[in-house]
Amino acid sequence: MELRMNSDLHDTRRAMRLLRWYPSAWRKRYGEEFVDHLEQEFAERHSNLGRSVNVVRKGVVARLGDIGLYDSVANPGAQSRAALGTGVGLAALMVVVMVDFWSKAMLVWSGRRYHPIPVTATTGTLTVVVGLVLVELAAIVIVVVTCVVRQIFRGQARPLVVPSTIAVVTGGFLLSEARFFPRLISPYIRGAHGFQGMSLSRPGQLIANLAQVVWETTQRWVDFWNPGYGPISPIQTVVNDCVPLAMFVCGIAIALLIRRVEIPQRIARLVFPTVALLGALSGVYFVAYLGWNLFGGPSNYDFFFRDKWLGIVYLVLLGLVPLLVIRSGLLARRSQPSSERNQIEIVGS
Amino acid sequence: MTDPENSLVGLGRNAGAAVLILSSLAGGDKHGYALVKDVEEFAGVHLPPGTLYQVLPRLESRGLIIALEADERRRPYRLTAQGATVLAEYITAQQRILKTGQARLKRSWSFA
Repeated sequence: MELRMNSDLHDTRRAMRLLRWYPSAWRKRYGEEFVDHLEQEFAERHSNLGRSVNVVRKGVVARLGDIGLYDSVANPGAQSRAALGTGVGLAALMVVVMVDFWSKAMLVWSGRRYHPIPVTATTGTLTVVVGLVLVELAAIVIVVVTCVVRQIFRGQARPLVVPSTIAVVTGGFLLSEARFFPRLISPYIRGAHGFQGMSLSRPGQLIANLAQVVWETTQRWVDFWNPGYGPISPIQTVVNDCVPLAMFVCGIAIALLIRRVEIPQRIARLVFPTVALLGALSGVYFVAYLGWNLFGGPSNYDFFFRDKWLGIVYLVLLGLVPLLVIRSGLLARRSQPSSERNQIEIVGS
Repeated sequence: MTDPENSLVGLGRNAGAAVLILSSLAGGDKHGYALVKDVEEFAGVHLPPGTLYQVLPRLESRGLIIALEADERRRPYRLTAQGATVLAEYITAQQRILKTGQARLKRSWSFA
């Protein structure tokens, strides 16, 4: 009898372990009956590798569905929010790599006397794309913050507490860092520490100087040790190193807020175009970056990728992000019913 | 003809498992494990638990089955009228294919 009870307990624990592969919303709805089902299967056939692999595989698929990367059974509103959340999370990850690469490409370009047309075109494309991605992300953040504030005033703040706190802390850090931005860029504008200075009649120089400061604040992502540079103090260097991390964490917090906040229906209709634009811009950046490399953009500048394998990891990331973002957008679009009878179930409209 | 959004078309590679589940539920309400045993009996196919619980939510969201009140931890499922219509249409289409295949095999390959 005791042996049987131990066996039952062991089976329940095994089933609970397998259940952990599924997302929390799924566990809440199907968890109990699924565990019961697994216990009965274990009682009949105790060990079966194929069965465990099947459960793990379907659990991963359910998790992918939960973040909008696989056809989910959730309502269309949830799928749209998941797609936008995933898009923003991936874009946040990509943007720290994008601005770092762009700033280096820009510095390499401005440091040259001769500018081949393909290198100029790809550098220009990288500049425009980075600018557009940042503008789009800023617009998304403004909309999300507005929705969050509305929900808090309606007294439904509870699910938003954790991501809001993380977003406020990291966003606050980024804003405080932005406070130093004029001081960081001033030597390049005024002309100090061997820099030429800048005239408003030369906007190209302004972009190059901006690239210099951006490089200072993002280089840790490519070179793990940042020795500091020129007029930057060691403490400022350490703070700068935290900027990309804060950008990424803030992006993830915003993505979590998107999943939990009530989005008005008129804004929910814009989810697919927004996600599609993010995916398209990421794709154009990837292609322009490949072109920039092929056309000799980084020639004679071996500092671009000191670690070859890290460079390959970043390339794979840059290629993967647009594909995943576009996939999540398409799934969100497909999940939206075509007719009026199945309106998007997003509250707060 | 049923709405394609609610038919088996959109289930992709899960359509086979969906037909087995709907056919089983056509014989009466069943919970997950009873459903697997029934399918094993009439089709000789063992539905793995991950696959079963991937397809059940999809059938539920399409309105082809409904979940009944849980009996302790076991929740039975029931075929809906729409589910029965979709299954009947699917079987009719398959019968047409079977008849054509059988006739052609008989004519060209002399299989009875």
